[in-house]
Amino acid sequence: ENREAMLNSKSNRLTEALEEANKLFDGVCRAREAALDAQFLVIASNIGKEKANELHSEMSAFDSTAFAEDLLTFMGINRTEVEETDDSEDVPGGFLPSDAWQTMGEEALKYFRRAPTFHYMMGSFKSEPPVPKQRIERQKKASRGKAERAMPAQLKEMEESHQEATEKEVERILRILQTHFENDPDTPISFFDFVIDPNSFAHTVENMFHVSFLIRDGLAKIRLDEDELPIIEPTKPSGRGEEDSRTRARNQVVISLDKREWK
Amino acid sequence: QVSELVQFLLVKDQKKIPIKRKEHREHWDAYSEIVNRAGRTLQEVFGLQLVEIDTKRHTYILINNLPRPEGKYLCRDKEKEKMGLLLIILSFIFMKGNSVKDSALWEFLNLLRVYPGKQHRVFGDVRKLVTDEFVRQKYLESTPIPLTDPPEYKYQWGPRAEKETSKKDVLNFVAKVRPFWGHLWL
Repeated sequence: ENREAMLNSKSNRLTEALEEANKLFDGVCRAREAALDAQFLVIASNIGKEKANELHSEMSAFDSTAFAEDLLTFMGINRTEVEETDDSEDVPGGFLPSDAWQTMGEEALKYFRRAPTFHYMMGSFKSEPPVPKQRIERQKKASRGKAERAMPAQLKEMEESHQEATEKEVERILRILQTHFENDPDTPISFFDFVIDPNSFAHTVENMFHVSFLIRDGLAKIRLDEDELPIIEPTKPSGRGEEDSRTRARNQVVISLDKREWK
Repeated sequence: QVSELVQFLLVKDQKKIPIKRKEHREHWDAYSEIVNRAGRTLQEVFGLQLVEIDTKRHTYILINNLPRPEGKYLCRDKEKEKMGLLLIILSFIFMKGNSVKDSALWEFLNLLRVYPGKQHRVFGDVRKLVTDEFVRQKYLESTPIPLTDPPEYKYQWGPRAEKETSKKDVLNFVAKVRPFWGHLWL
């Protein structure tokens, strides 16, 4: 009780209380009373210690109010005379800019040897092993598959969708070609009939792109018929020994097609 | 094994809460050798120092051993702003003789428009930040003042503050904010 009053450096209340306790102690004859006295002593000494502390800080001449003012200045306070009442920052003395604490923080960082927080650069790995992808026989793709597994999750998804779309398309086209030939083995299809989409130039180009994969991998071939027009047919999956692939001529052909021609 | 420990320490340090030995028991049984080697790796590869702040309970923190870079720190994040508030608090504690009552601290922060009971535009729940977060990170140490009712606390510098900065640095800060102070304290 009356702690604040006692702490006041100008008061002698603490001394008076101690003196009173001293006098009272003479009348003590029971243990319980002595215990109370001891308790009082503990409280009194704590208060005494705090008083001593406060004495010390008064002598240090550190003016916290002035320090606070200086900090506000440092943070860029705008000390206008006009009183703003719309904002919570309307305490008399001015208006703190919104980046006030950023400014302070910028300065503060110079004083701390703080370890930067650790973050993974590439995101984290998926915990389960990657599902093996469906593949058509392509040696190139097989070796690439192993490298892909090391890439982080995000990137992998994107690559997959690209490749799979192309692969699927190519597969589909191959199947169409093969089906046609199953039904009608002796009639090769005109290349242009095969790839041209009468409704879409872009799609035509795409078809040619996909067919080029089949040609590259030797799954289909293009040759010229009697009228010097290109025809396309699937290659027979005969036991293609190395001999075979070496003897077969592989030519590079560039086909150009613009919109007018297409029409 | 050492690299696993290094990685563990780096991830644990993200929240700036000190790392206790018992949390990763199986690595720390071959204790001192592995910890020492991890410390060397952290220093040589990352420029970070592994410091034991509590030898009884084996608690560790990571601090930055590289010289401070020049120029503006580009990231505008909460961390920067919190460090600003922290530096101010540490300065106040220091200038007040290394220990302040919580009531005195809040009285001072009020002057900077920071109020314990009010949601702050930048810091949110400031009371939680100061009494909870800063204390758990060991930047501040909070001790109850005995025989106070309702209980009052006093604040001092925590072990992380002692390691990451110094009284001299903080004094420089105070002097920088008001050059005038320098001569009073010589």
